Amino acid sequence: MIRCAALAAVALLAAATAHGADPRVDYMLQCQGCHLGDGSGSPGTVPDLRGSLGRFLGVPGGREYLVRVPGAAQSSLSDERLAALLDWMIREFGSAEAAAQLEPYRAEEVARWRADPYAEVQTVRRELLRRIEAGSAPSR
Amino acid sequence: MSALDAWFARAARQLARRTSRRSFLARLGTLAAGAAALPLLPVARAGAVREPAPGEPDGSTPAGDPDDCAYWRYCAIDGFLASCCGGTHLSCPPGAEMSPLTWIGTCQNPVDGKHYIVSYNDCCGKNACGRCFCHRNEGDKPVYIPPKSNDIDWCMGRVGVIYNSTVAVVIGISTEKG
Repeated sequence: MIRCAALAAVALLAAATAHGADPRVDYMLQCQGCHLGDGSGSPGTVPDLRGSLGRFLGVPGGREYLVRVPGAAQSSLSDERLAALLDWMIREFGSAEAAAQLEPYRAEEVARWRADPYAEVQTVRRELLRRIEAGSAPSR
Repeated sequence: MSALDAWFARAARQLARRTSRRSFLARLGTLAAGAAALPLLPVARAGAVREPAPGEPDGSTPAGDPDDCAYWRYCAIDGFLASCCGGTHLSCPPGAEMSPLTWIGTCQNPVDGKHYIVSYNDCCGKNACGRCFCHRNEGDKPVYIPPKSNDIDWCMGRVGVIYNSTVAVVIGISTEKG
């Protein structure tokens, strides 16, 4: 177990050195305080990321939603790092299907969307969840 | 010699007059029951130690005193040190519960010069400790940037809002100050 942890630490450091910034570290510093290390969040207060991020990508408006939510849009990260962080989060917390189908975020679209963060994020979220539910319901 | 004998005889008679075998058994019983109940006290449960984070300096790293506000991990703490309130810098005092929601920043370890990612979890559900107040603001931002502010009572959500003290847990290493 200790050897595993040591290897993980070495891998993490290597990744950070190779790309300048490590999305995992950005997640820790920008998101983990509320969404927690495993993405589970806090029921009723902080949304659970596990298995849910990819679902938003499947409905109209979902891709920009993940950028325009206050936590993402108003983070101190550059557009490039926010794009890399969102890709990492979808791979880490989304379903295997969502990870396989992921079209990586582009810095340009992140810049455009985050300039207009949601004032009423709950309303948008409810509408998107309704679309997700409607899309997953069996057709008759 | 006879004086010593007489003294012991007198002492033994006095002891026999003052105590009974029944009282000895009662005291022995109390001791046995007390010893059996001792591990059930919250002190023993609070001693549970968490797994170290990858890259976390171990206890042998000569990096300062966790009971001192100047300790490197406390570079952005705002609260009472849990280590001074019956807990440690990694665990909450008995009777207080660690809030999962927290604020996270980095502190530089003066020994190896690395920036460690530190999670300042509040200990909640028990009245404020009131000892060893420590207020350092490296990387702290105003409350309108909530995820980066140490002025917030992070006792929210699952464990109630009563604030007791704060721990400083290393959760990783960063290549830059954050």
